[in-house]
Amino acid sequence: MTSRRTWALVPGFLAIAVAAFALSAYSGASSSQGFAPEQPVKFPHPRHVQDLGMNCLYCHYSANESPDPGLPAVGTCMGCHTLIGPQRPALNGQPARTSVEIKKLQEYAPIGQPDKWKSIDWVRIHKLPEYVHFPHMRHVNAGVTCQTCHGPVQDMAQVYQYSSLNMGWCVNCHVDGYKLADGLRAAGVTPTAEQEAMPAKTARYDCAICHY
Amino acid sequence: MSQSTETAGVKRRDFLKVLGAATAATGTVGCFQEDIEKLVPYLNSPDQTVPGVSNYYSSTCRECSAGCGIVVEVRDGRAIKVEGNPEHPVNRGALCARGQASLQGLYNPDRYRTPMIREGGKLVPTTWDNAMQALNQQVAQARTNVKAREVAFVSRHEAGSFGAFADNWMEALGFGSHYQYDPEADLAVRAANQATYGAMSPALDFSAARLIVSFGADFLETWQANVPQQLAFADARAKLQNGPRFVYIGARRSLTGLNADEWIACKPGSEETIAAALASALGGGSTTTAQAAEASGVSVETLDALVTSVRDIRPSLVLSGVTTPNAAQIAATVAAINKAAGNVGVTIRLDGALTSFAGAVGADAMSRVATSLNAGGVPLIFVRGANPVYDTPKSMGFAEAFAKAGYRVSFSSYPDETSSLCDLVLPDSHPLESWGDAEPVAGVLGLQQPTMDVVFSTRATPDVMLAVAQANGATAKFPAKTYRDWLISRTSGGAAAFTAALPKAMAKGSALARTAASSRIASGTTPPAAIGGTGEYFLQVYPHAVLGAGAGANKPWLQELPDPVSKICWQSWVEIHPMTARKLGIERGDHVKVQTASGSITAPAYLYLGIRQDTVAVALGQGHTAYGRYAQDIGVNALDALGATWNGAGALALTQSMATVAKLNEYSELVTTEGSARQHGRELAQAVTTAQLAAGDYGERPHHELPGDASHEFLPGLRSPVAADAQGDLANPKAKDKGMYDPEHPSGMARRRWAMTIDLSRCTGCSACVTACYAENNVPTVGARWQGRSLRPFHSSDGSGWDTRPGANILKGREMAWIRIERYFEGGEDGTSAFDTRFLPMMCQHCGNAPCESVCPVYATYHAPDGLNVQVYNRCVGTRYCSNGCPYKVRYYNWHGYGETARRQYAFPDPLHLQLNPDVTVRGKGVMEKCSFCVQRIREAENLASLEKRDLAPNEFTTACAQACPSRAIVFGDAADPMWQVAQQVGDRRGYHVFEELNTYTAVVYLRKVNHTGGEGVPTAVPPPAATPATAGGPR
Repeated sequence: MTSRRTWALVPGFLAIAVAAFALSAYSGASSSQGFAPEQPVKFPHPRHVQDLGMNCLYCHYSANESPDPGLPAVGTCMGCHTLIGPQRPALNGQPARTSVEIKKLQEYAPIGQPDKWKSIDWVRIHKLPEYVHFPHMRHVNAGVTCQTCHGPVQDMAQVYQYSSLNMGWCVNCHVDGYKLADGLRAAGVTPTAEQEAMPAKTARYDCAICHY
Repeated sequence: MSQSTETAGVKRRDFLKVLGAATAATGTVGCFQEDIEKLVPYLNSPDQTVPGVSNYYSSTCRECSAGCGIVVEVRDGRAIKVEGNPEHPVNRGALCARGQASLQGLYNPDRYRTPMIREGGKLVPTTWDNAMQALNQQVAQARTNVKAREVAFVSRHEAGSFGAFADNWMEALGFGSHYQYDPEADLAVRAANQATYGAMSPALDFSAARLIVSFGADFLETWQANVPQQLAFADARAKLQNGPRFVYIGARRSLTGLNADEWIACKPGSEETIAAALASALGGGSTTTAQAAEASGVSVETLDALVTSVRDIRPSLVLSGVTTPNAAQIAATVAAINKAAGNVGVTIRLDGALTSFAGAVGADAMSRVATSLNAGGVPLIFVRGANPVYDTPKSMGFAEAFAKAGYRVSFSSYPDETSSLCDLVLPDSHPLESWGDAEPVAGVLGLQQPTMDVVFSTRATPDVMLAVAQANGATAKFPAKTYRDWLISRTSGGAAAFTAALPKAMAKGSALARTAASSRIASGTTPPAAIGGTGEYFLQVYPHAVLGAGAGANKPWLQELPDPVSKICWQSWVEIHPMTARKLGIERGDHVKVQTASGSITAPAYLYLGIRQDTVAVALGQGHTAYGRYAQDIGVNALDALGATWNGAGALALTQSMATVAKLNEYSELVTTEGSARQHGRELAQAVTTAQLAAGDYGERPHHELPGDASHEFLPGLRSPVAADAQGDLANPKAKDKGMYDPEHPSGMARRRWAMTIDLSRCTGCSACVTACYAENNVPTVGARWQGRSLRPFHSSDGSGWDTRPGANILKGREMAWIRIERYFEGGEDGTSAFDTRFLPMMCQHCGNAPCESVCPVYATYHAPDGLNVQVYNRCVGTRYCSNGCPYKVRYYNWHGYGETARRQYAFPDPLHLQLNPDVTVRGKGVMEKCSFCVQRIREAENLASLEKRDLAPNEFTTACAQACPSRAIVFGDAADPMWQVAQQVGDRRGYHVFEELNTYTAVVYLRKVNHTGGEGVPTAVPPPAATPATAGGPR
């Protein structure tokens, strides 16, 4: 290889590097999909949703009426955990045990001492850039199940980011449409024949629907 | 390089190493996890709040004395927007720029964050316990002092019970007088009105008048209550038949004067003789127009015509607002004219009279305080909200007298010239954080309630006063623990009735009335001083239209808002007539020294047609020395050239002396947002006269065939279609999927056409819409002294690369105002007073055939199916091609990262950022932005409608500018739905598009201004306005 030809390769490689960089910025490579941080209190979604049958909206109380899904106040936790302390009795064939996490929770919110309560600083997992406006209530009220985007949270011992949350992922659903049956299946519910037959619901995909 | 002499070029191995490293670096950057964010929950959820959904609290505006009702939008515990309360009898939903900017008082970064106490000559932070202890100790000591009765309390005037509350508090402690000082109050008019009509501030019914004559009463800006006056004035001027002709008399044409059909430029002070001539014509005297002409420098013919009008045209409305020493005499004569002309009860309505202004006193009261302090031995003085050290003339010596008080206590929220001289500062909570009341109209009690928790460690002054009273043995008179309890104790029906009244912040009832002598307007017995002094020029000083007498100067929105008349911001200027300037060799921007017997002021010259050739004018409001970062070292204080001269009612005579005017050898570029004051024949702001309208001429221009008409007929509703190339696949006959631009698309977006009409016959140029837009859309202010980057570092004074001139960015044309008020003059080139002014609100026109869209290389701006011209910030790469293409120059580029906290240019220093609207992106550096037609409000309304499972209701929401507009000139809505008001107006025969000839098909329709020439008969054959909107694209 002559030196002249070696030099001729440089712009080509540079172009590849630039293209790779640009593509990575636009593709899933920059997504935090799969992000599963450790939370200050290891809140077990499966226990609350699967075993106790709690609705998502019990804690994420404004998801159907606000752009913001709502984060449970410490008081919401303590509504039950004032009575349900760390000493767990034998139940459902499991031996009695001490719950470290309930103990932790009660350290954040000592019973009978409301002035000593501290907030629990949860680590944020799902984050859209600030130039995106995502109204939760539009989606929830359109019948989009939580699991459609957030994945099987009811099975997640440690919550992780299930979807890429990239724009292509959003737009695909807005253009191709959302099938209620798929959403129900994601939520672990078997759709009825009627639900299966429902057509996909499309949505507006104009930029200014979300970006303003 | 040096090693590669043996083998030319790079070795393959080396190259691969470099490539590998580069790839690794790329990968690292690409996979980099964004900063870990925390989600912090409430400990316990507050009741009645939903995160991400606003709560609205009704309250009362405290930015001036008028007492307008406001509705404060609170999101997640932070007040983010102030709007007028639609149900309030005074402002009916509108709000001026000063009211909008109250949020920047609440979140002002320079506010006192804790109590302050003077130690070692400096004010240092202290705790509330220490401060209260110091205060109680001083009060207890002062009560035993022989001069306890000389202890004064100076507060800024506010409508409501606080005045009487403080009177009683001073009395209970054995102290002296409480003064509610208002440097802007027109006391002369209030005294004359009270004497003649029996009401201090009657409601003015402009619509009932056929003739309005204003002697310097600037009722659209600072005179009395500008919002209700503007609402009424705009209604009157929008009448196409039998509307009132408006004559403005004064040496300077203010914003109000610019809205007049005729300007009679008389010498300052000669209004007295002109008014006397008018009164004589109505049978009250023997002054002739010849005498008036002699005194005023106005031709006899002009005055004869005026006299004839006032004599013959009924009903009329004559107003007085002069600021000369003989103001009280003029006001009395004007009141007599109204009485003689039978206007009382017709245009001057005593029902609905404003009661807000009761109890305000002027500068003469401050002079009495100064005299008392100068005598020495006064142990204590209290100041709350007022700033007499700044807003009384230096020659009165208030600062020196203030220094002689034994102990000075301030309740000011902000550092200002007065509080910085005090020994103890107990910062007051902002009106948006505290309780209060106002009685704007007799019998209507407007309530002021906290809209959020305090931003800083502040306490409401009435609460502090109650604590002091209780610590000093006055518990019997002041048993209430808090001012809220005290207010409840005054409410008939008690706490339940009080709480029930809060949602609308209005109750039946009255504020506690003041009876103290210190609340009465002085009545003039001594003959007024003549306008004296040496010099060839009258000096007219006037309150700044948005900064007032200076209280607004610490709010960047108001500093950045161009003065409605001169279009100058962040600066002081001297108004001087072009002819005079030519005579003196002065050019625009040359520094001019205005010298009177009392002092001098130096500021750059602004050549202004609307001022007499023998008069120069300077606005109040600037020249602060200790009023926070935004006011510091901006301009000059015009009071420096004034002496301690009052009018008969005790207000400072702002036009009191002659002055010499000298050109200095210095120059400052004027900080202005204006390109040209002339239209150069482009017909941007069009007008018709009532005579033309009566003849059936709506000023329509012949419609010529435009080249390149859009091929596709799009939507009905607007006269203009959307260009084919902005319609994507809809305009492509071969496309199978027509997309969202298809009106049949299930999204339904294309069935709407967001549009706006702006009625120029209503617009007064007040600029409230501009500030409302700043508040709604997170528009950064860019003119502060530290925000100007110098492109030529060697040109900046210290070589630092920073241009520290105020408004340096604006000098480079880098202001960010999404909406601006263009102001054009027509006529008057020869220096005469007969010129017409056109105000033209200009924002993105949301063109159907937009020049910006087709040039964007990254598709960051495009036409949305619902008619919006959309700017997508995250797509924008900042080529600025769009801005070059825009014929309206309404696109603004973020040169400096005003939204980035780490930058010196950061426009929202803590805690100003708490005001930011969470629904609107804060734009970053290198991004183009512009008016979005408040798309976030459209989405919010759509979301709400969807939640409630209904369609959008006609007129259910509007843009921030239209909501604020005190003249109701702006109407926004869906032009494709005939139920919306805008759809009914786009077809108006006065309608036109700016630059129609450019084929841009804008979504903004302007309705031509109407000049009331007067004398038009009842029109016989006026064709009715087009009942149905013209078909899109068709000839009109």
